[in-house]
Amino acid sequence: MNLIREIWQSIVRRDPLSTDKGKSELVFLNVWLHIHPAKVKKENLRFRYTFYLGFITFFLFMILVTTGIALMCYYRPFPPQAYQDMKDLQFVVFMGPFLRSMHRWAAHAMVVCVFLHMCRVFYSGSYKKPRQFNWVIGVLLLLLTLGLSFTGYLLPWDQLAYWAITVGTNIGSYAPLVGGQVRELLLGGHTVGEAALIRFYVLHVAVLPSLMILLTVVHFWRIRKDGGLSRPTWRLKPSRPEALVTIGAPPETAPLKTVPASKDKTYGLMEVVTGKPIFETITPEEEEDAVFSYPYAFFREAIALMVTVTGIMAISLFFHAPLEALANPAKTPNPAKAPWYFLGLQELVSHSALLGGVVAPALMVLALLAIPYFDRNPSRRPSDRKWAIWLFTIFVVVNLVLIVIGTFFRGPGWAFVPPWVHVVAGAE
Amino acid sequence: MGRRLPQIFFALSMLALALIVAAVWQASTPSWKNYQHSFLQLEAQEEPNAVTKAAVLATPPQIHQTLLPGLQRVDRCTTCHLGVDDPTMKNAPEPFRYHAGLGPHIPSKFGCTICHGGQGLATDKDDAHGKVQFWDTPLLSKDYIRASCGRCHKEGDVPGVPELTEGRRLFETQGCRGCHKLNGVGGSIGPDLTEEGASHRSPDWLERHFLAPNVVSAGSAMPNFHFDREQARALTYYMLSLTNEEMGSYYSSVRLIPSPEYGRQLFVAKDCIVCHAIGGTGAKAGPDLLGVTKRHSPEWLDEQLVNPQLVYPGSSMPEYDLETNARKALVAFMSSATAQDAQNILAHRGNALTPADVAIEAGKRDFARFGCAGCHGTELQGGVPNPNAQGGQVPSLLHVSDDYTKDEVIEIIRNGKVPPLDKASGPTPPLYMPSWKHLLSDEDIHQLVDFLWSKQEKAKDAW
Repeated sequence: MNLIREIWQSIVRRDPLSTDKGKSELVFLNVWLHIHPAKVKKENLRFRYTFYLGFITFFLFMILVTTGIALMCYYRPFPPQAYQDMKDLQFVVFMGPFLRSMHRWAAHAMVVCVFLHMCRVFYSGSYKKPRQFNWVIGVLLLLLTLGLSFTGYLLPWDQLAYWAITVGTNIGSYAPLVGGQVRELLLGGHTVGEAALIRFYVLHVAVLPSLMILLTVVHFWRIRKDGGLSRPTWRLKPSRPEALVTIGAPPETAPLKTVPASKDKTYGLMEVVTGKPIFETITPEEEEDAVFSYPYAFFREAIALMVTVTGIMAISLFFHAPLEALANPAKTPNPAKAPWYFLGLQELVSHSALLGGVVAPALMVLALLAIPYFDRNPSRRPSDRKWAIWLFTIFVVVNLVLIVIGTFFRGPGWAFVPPWVHVVAGAE
Repeated sequence: MGRRLPQIFFALSMLALALIVAAVWQASTPSWKNYQHSFLQLEAQEEPNAVTKAAVLATPPQIHQTLLPGLQRVDRCTTCHLGVDDPTMKNAPEPFRYHAGLGPHIPSKFGCTICHGGQGLATDKDDAHGKVQFWDTPLLSKDYIRASCGRCHKEGDVPGVPELTEGRRLFETQGCRGCHKLNGVGGSIGPDLTEEGASHRSPDWLERHFLAPNVVSAGSAMPNFHFDREQARALTYYMLSLTNEEMGSYYSSVRLIPSPEYGRQLFVAKDCIVCHAIGGTGAKAGPDLLGVTKRHSPEWLDEQLVNPQLVYPGSSMPEYDLETNARKALVAFMSSATAQDAQNILAHRGNALTPADVAIEAGKRDFARFGCAGCHGTELQGGVPNPNAQGGQVPSLLHVSDDYTKDEVIEIIRNGKVPPLDKASGPTPPLYMPSWKHLLSDEDIHQLVDFLWSKQEKAKDAW
């Protein structure tokens, strides 16, 4: 028994979890958990503040990496074989349909969750100082998510894949000066073919996931460095200025003040070095609002993980990822549609190539990137930010409406056809 | 706060476990395992003693597949159709019944889908039978299955399938190539038919379409040829056989051995003697073929037979859509052909070959070949409805010499003509005379006009 205890101790190296010291050490003596603070604010754990969308997005990404690596074992990225490998996954590989469906549905879910996460961050004003740059990284992560989904879309090499990528890259080619060249660089030619498939594959399994992991690390690291999750400050009781305490090294003239906190309370190294908490000043009330990450935050995160995993598994059990006929460059479906998240753009392109293919996407991305620098209003209280909230809501609604129109209301020849009207496809 | 978090986490973990078990169960119980189990029980019934019975029943389930690189396919049908090559299963229930009457076409060499259609890679009934969305070629029904013989038997009569021969004959004589390309030869008004058998069209659609193109495909420019049901069926068979698949030579029909004799048959069938002479015997429109295999390399000759324009721009020789082996056979025949052969061929031809006859013959051939017959009728009688054109139909050509000079007709063929409107305010008539100058040489057009004039009813005499 002693040996087992010794081995266990050599692994965890912390005090028992029944003590506050043990709870703190669980976090900062563990390489995987130390991205967390030892203590978190109670109100940040509230489901209705964050909806755990950031976590869910990250868990979806983990599902995608895991299932993606498994799928790579069965996939050859050149034209006729790629499609045959899909068929083998569907009919011969043990749990192949389940695996592919999980990857597919998690990918769609991730696009949705990244977007919802962005909305949550906007509406809570969390992009404001000091978190401006983390918002920019978040926008880049959104673009990477779209890029990963788009490159993965081609890999099954069926009609759906082939024509979605053909349409999608055509939208991109409307960009002035560089559009055509970028498309050619991406496709390795003028049309979607063998060269495009291997390029999309390399982007999908190597380049984009690496960038995604790098930026995710920065994104998480900056959350801590920017003072943890933003707090719904407008809901907090106003603090009494005289109760403020400054932690760490004092100004040269004053003697060191300490906080009447528990003996085992730990502070980040940075706080000691700079002489004050980096961005937030702690009041005694706030200190009482904080709880240990273990178990309060960790169990909630674990529950978010399990909800994500079970949700994707349950969907994949009953709905299998679609696979259409083998890609056929000679047979254009009517209408040929881009992946659903680009259908808003395709809808705009159908009215004006310049507007939909160039102006709108460029403006959207630039506007998103500029939000934290353009919005000088320091308040995060919703009632102080009516204009910002209105503008962003219009942006979200317009996007959603365009995507819904493009997805459900467009029939052959991009004519307006409501989904409840059945169109008999022409003989030709 | 958060007192029940561990319980929730535990419950969700159990749910995840249950879902994993469900997914494993779903993956471990494919329907083909049930079929294999039933088949083993069927086999075990025949076993005399308990030991062999048990051994049969203990056979592990596995997917059976026939790899057919020569046919570019993998067929897994025998995963369920387990008795297909086992004569003792001839009275077994489906899907285990023995497939009788296959002759040399044994499943281990041919698979199943080359004849039956369906999705060979699939291991689930609906998917395998192709009765799912996104699979264009579902199982062919019994009525049409023999059409698949034409996928390999591309030339000559297919034993037991007269429909294919008839369909091919109709295709070449009714002017289908005027509008439709087949293997690169033909017009471009209608769809290319080279891979028609691999398209999504059902046999039923094809057959109805041949009976009444406009009813099945609204606005179709294809005229109604008034085929009877048997002709429509024959054409449907022929269409279904057009898949243009790459195949190993094992699957090519034995008739296609490129022997000089097969070449001679082709030489007669294609009526080469109408333009070419051998050793001075025959027509003089094209070069004399005596010693042609010494003047040109086999590659040059092959290319010439694929498309004469490739080796001699401006050549008036038509393209003939000949299989590789057919071209080889023709070259083989030409290497040994003599004036005597030409004499024999001419002797068996119905009519003599004056230069005028040659021109008329060539014109007649072009008339069928380029699809003039499609609108103007095989007997030049016209009559295809063309709403809001003057007369409401495509004009007959039997009296064309009454209204036009030869030069005027040549002009119309060269540049095309939009029919005059019946009512000026009415819609544009769907059919019009296309311009042919890019497809037909001046010589072709002259021959066509000679042919037309040879067919004129002597209307003036009747006056």
